[in-house]
Amino acid sequence: MSDRVEAVKKLFTSKSSRVETNKGESYYQELFIKCEARLNELRANTPANRLDFADLLEENGIDRREFMKWASATTAMLMLPPMFTPLVADAAVMMNRAPVIWLELQDCAGNSEALLRADGPKIDEIVLDIISLEYHETLQAASGHQAEKQLEEAMEHFKGKYLLFVEGSIPMGMNGQYGTIGASGETFHDHLVRCATNAAAVVAVGSCATFGGIPAASPNPTGAVGVMDVIKNKPLINIPACPANPANMVGVILHYLLTGQIPELDSLLRPKFAFGYRIHDNCERRAHFDAGEYVEVWGDAGAQNNFCLYKMGCKGPMTFNNCSIVRYNEAVNWPIGVGRGCIGCSEPDFWDKYAYERPMADAKIKAPSGGVEKSVDEFGLGMLTAAGVGITIHAAASAVAGKREKSGESHE
Amino acid sequence: MNQGYKQVKRMTPAMRIIHWVNAFSMVGAVITGLYIGHPYYQTFMADGAVDKYIMAWNRYGHFMIAIIFDVTSVIIAYLYFFSRFEKPYKKLIPNGKNITEFKAVLVNLLTLNRKKEFDSSHADSFNTVYFTVFHLLLVWMLFTGLQLYVHGLGSGISSIGAWWPWMLHIATDWTIPVTGGSLMDVRIAHHTSMWLIICWVLFHIYYQVWRTIFWKEADIAIVIGGSKFVKEDTLKA
Repeated sequence: MSDRVEAVKKLFTSKSSRVETNKGESYYQELFIKCEARLNELRANTPANRLDFADLLEENGIDRREFMKWASATTAMLMLPPMFTPLVADAAVMMNRAPVIWLELQDCAGNSEALLRADGPKIDEIVLDIISLEYHETLQAASGHQAEKQLEEAMEHFKGKYLLFVEGSIPMGMNGQYGTIGASGETFHDHLVRCATNAAAVVAVGSCATFGGIPAASPNPTGAVGVMDVIKNKPLINIPACPANPANMVGVILHYLLTGQIPELDSLLRPKFAFGYRIHDNCERRAHFDAGEYVEVWGDAGAQNNFCLYKMGCKGPMTFNNCSIVRYNEAVNWPIGVGRGCIGCSEPDFWDKYAYERPMADAKIKAPSGGVEKSVDEFGLGMLTAAGVGITIHAAASAVAGKREKSGESHE
Repeated sequence: MNQGYKQVKRMTPAMRIIHWVNAFSMVGAVITGLYIGHPYYQTFMADGAVDKYIMAWNRYGHFMIAIIFDVTSVIIAYLYFFSRFEKPYKKLIPNGKNITEFKAVLVNLLTLNRKKEFDSSHADSFNTVYFTVFHLLLVWMLFTGLQLYVHGLGSGISSIGAWWPWMLHIATDWTIPVTGGSLMDVRIAHHTSMWLIICWVLFHIYYQVWRTIFWKEADIAIVIGGSKFVKEDTLKA
């Protein structure tokens, strides 16, 4: 009985995207003590690499004040009260104690790029630099059997402790032969399953790894799927978006380091601290949306006045993500800030269903009959026309039949 | 009135009020809904954004209409089973009598009124099924629409309390997997269903006018005066 009650409770709460931003004083006190204990424990561990966070900050010209500003912003992003700021700062310093194995599957390496190629490394990127990256297929110097050996060793040494970051989708077509890796020609699917077996948790980074992304777009020739369709028996965190925001990656690692747990997730396994609200809810152009002020054509007077991009196909109203607050590249800018609409890159099936750069009503969707692509309105008007034609024929026939009746051949 | 015609009461005042509330709500929902889906008229750029609220008013109107639809839907669902006048659910049960009547009415429509082998004085099975399709479409619109609405309540709170988004999630989250798995699918379904409803309305109006013209029993008066007129000899038959 009790697990049935639990099951009902789960059913009624798991699908919700509700964000609990204040869980009460006692909850946070307890969490604080837990986190402190965990950080002390970590401090006793020897770092997995020799990179020193303080040195790196200094090398990049970032002073303590700037770092603490970042720490308080990150604390707020994680939806923790301000008293956690020193803990977050501590956790960032101890990032070199977080073993990470990073897999690169079917994708463009855009997520690795996002965290590595910022023009001047910002704090988020530096934090990601010093994580103990034990194995990263794109970045490591080793290759072939040597790389394979490194992976084996890392998985053995950090058994049950490492975070497995996965970037890219998994091709399932043709027994997974669309993507193989390593000297032994292991398929992406087998590779992922093998590496996930002993991971503490799996973090799917970017839209490809979470929902299949662009490789899974229609007609999905390789049968691409996301990590959550393959790995079922592990704690799994999805950080979608194309690319995933480094701030959210740092957030998840920090949260794990601090609490030893994965953050609260929504029904799509996305951390609620990042994906609890729509872009639309915190958009700087929201006032123009409500006012009915839209950019009609690229570069028109509306565009020059930062009007709402809804009519240019912005999908902010249907996209849950925090880029309207966190933005990209340490809050430098984001898509809507540069005057183009959101393409909903952090939602499932975004390439087919969101990224067509026009309002949904104008979009080409597959007609229920299949094959032919029609916009919703064209399809609707077609149906209406068919109904109208049918009615006209029926009316005309009825009128003719009525006349015939009058002229004497009544059936009554 | 021709002699030998008998007046048959068909709709109570409450039913007629609900019908017209629904009809006008329908028009309002389509006008505002099309604007929400694709803003089809522009606002004056010279006014400051604070002075106008065009999309917001459209959404306000659309949601108010939705709430009216909610309420009438609940009343109609109740009346389907508990009306003291006529219980429509009785015409929906697929028993021999109803199936025969459904076929007879359909044959009457398809043979352009050459055959009319059923009692047209009371609500018939064909129309009841057709009306039920509309109510189901409306319920579908309510669930998908409220799902789209709750996206804006990510904080889990609302002006009327936390129970409202909580309840909306429970009541409508199933529409996401049913329509295809993403929030956009819900939106596409909501928009496409609008066209289905417009088609439904088109045939509905046509069919009631057609009945009025060819049956010569003043069916169109049902929704205004509440009654129609049937030849007394057919009544007895």
